[in-house]
Amino acid sequence: MLRSGHRLALILFTAVLVAWLAVMAVVMRHAALPPEASGPMLAIFEPGAPEDEVFASLTRAGARVVRKGGLGFIWVVAGDEPGLAGRLVKEGALGAYRELPVSPVIAGCFAFADVKMAGLMP
Amino acid sequence: MSTTAAARSPWYASVTALIVAGCLVAIVNFGIRSTFGFFTVPISDAHGWPREIFSFAMAVHNLVWGLATPLAGMLADRYGSARVLMAGAVIYCAGLVMMAFTQTPFMFNVGGGLLVGVGVAFSSFSIVMAALGRIVPPDRRSWAFGIATASGSMGQFIFAPLGASLITAYGWQNALNILAVLSLLIIVFAAPLMARNTSSAPRNAGEADITMRQAIGIAFGHRSYLLLVSGFFVCGFQLAFIVVHMPPYLVEHGISKEFAGFAMGLIGLFNVVGSYVSGIIGGRGEKRVPLAVIYLLRSLLVAGFVLLPVTPLTTLLFTMSMGLLWLSTVPLTMGLVTVMFGTRYMATLYGFVFVSHQVGSFLGVWLGGRLYDAFGSYSIVWWLSVALGVFAFVVHLPIREQRQTRFAAA
Repeated sequence: MLRSGHRLALILFTAVLVAWLAVMAVVMRHAALPPEASGPMLAIFEPGAPEDEVFASLTRAGARVVRKGGLGFIWVVAGDEPGLAGRLVKEGALGAYRELPVSPVIAGCFAFADVKMAGLMP
Repeated sequence: MSTTAAARSPWYASVTALIVAGCLVAIVNFGIRSTFGFFTVPISDAHGWPREIFSFAMAVHNLVWGLATPLAGMLADRYGSARVLMAGAVIYCAGLVMMAFTQTPFMFNVGGGLLVGVGVAFSSFSIVMAALGRIVPPDRRSWAFGIATASGSMGQFIFAPLGASLITAYGWQNALNILAVLSLLIIVFAAPLMARNTSSAPRNAGEADITMRQAIGIAFGHRSYLLLVSGFFVCGFQLAFIVVHMPPYLVEHGISKEFAGFAMGLIGLFNVVGSYVSGIIGGRGEKRVPLAVIYLLRSLLVAGFVLLPVTPLTTLLFTMSMGLLWLSTVPLTMGLVTVMFGTRYMATLYGFVFVSHQVGSFLGVWLGGRLYDAFGSYSIVWWLSVALGVFAFVVHLPIREQRQTRFAAA
């Protein structure tokens, strides 16, 4: 009987994740910077993309590398020329964002803690 | 339910559908509030407020959530969980809308503190679990508590990036309004529970016919219940302290903020697994022993983490292990309430246990900062957390895992 329960849990959580991914895909598209944007931004590449290829793409897009993000496929870049975001996407970036909509908010039961946490993180 | 009646029941009133519905309520309820941290900066900046105003509203929300949980439980036990969940969704929604449009700190506290606090309490997974406790057969009850808790954890894990994305894509005000609309999904998800509303159902076999007032009085005179209440205080203390004070502790010890954030995020992921497994363990035998062991393991983990050099490896090992033990106390604690007092007043009686948890949470955050300021180090609070964990281990062992005599039918 419990085995069917595990199956239910697996199906439920998988379905929730699939629905979440679909919603996130739509929202992330809307969250991306418009093509004409310039200034400091995060360039997101496909996870696992070779670093030299990514670097070449950034150079071709005219982006100045500020630093590599905490995860290998995220780069903090900048550029004053209008249209940097559009050029980054054209050169292979998945998207360009002013800030990345992920954070270390964790599952718990104390929202005040979450607030403090968000303030402590970059 | 008889075979004929079961055959006539619509699909959405089946036990499986009700479990799924309850889990979806937990996902939305816990998920939305996990996004609040992202609103700190945009709301404060938009109004020109210091961050304390937002933080204070969130602190009020947590205290109200704790204090309102027994009331929500009483109403759920009397009028049925579905109605309370639906009312909670409306209040939650109103609070979120008020957060979006209010212009003064006072009204922000009314919306984000009071209304959201009441809304979260009335639509929380403890109300869901009370409903599931009555609907699900006893042999699957602990598993149901586990999956409901895991759903709440998953809600927090998936809603956090969604909330942040909504702010980036549509602005904080629209994001709050979207979340307000999403909170109303609780009404849809709670609707199937109306089909099996248990408020007017006859008491379960083996449960005595006593009033709610008598039930509360008996519970607070029952030693094992008081031990459980005192133990859950420790849970709140440890979790809140770690969430708030561990990131700066890591940074102090040379861990980058980004890595600290990633490591803390792992707690959320492993929490889903821990909560679910805890429900399974609770269904296989005694609950007090695994519950006590969870607190002991937390103490050992904290002691080991404090004694060992803080490195990326020890940080990851600590957060992953702590994640497994994070909300894994909930299904076992809820299970013990059910064993001692049955299902009739479980929402009410768990509600009082939860007040203790929230008081512990508040002290975990406050004392952490206070003692750090006094001693210039987190060491004393880490060791206080270890000591409290040992205390919780000790107080859970003597809990008598059997129906309280006056709750048992003659």
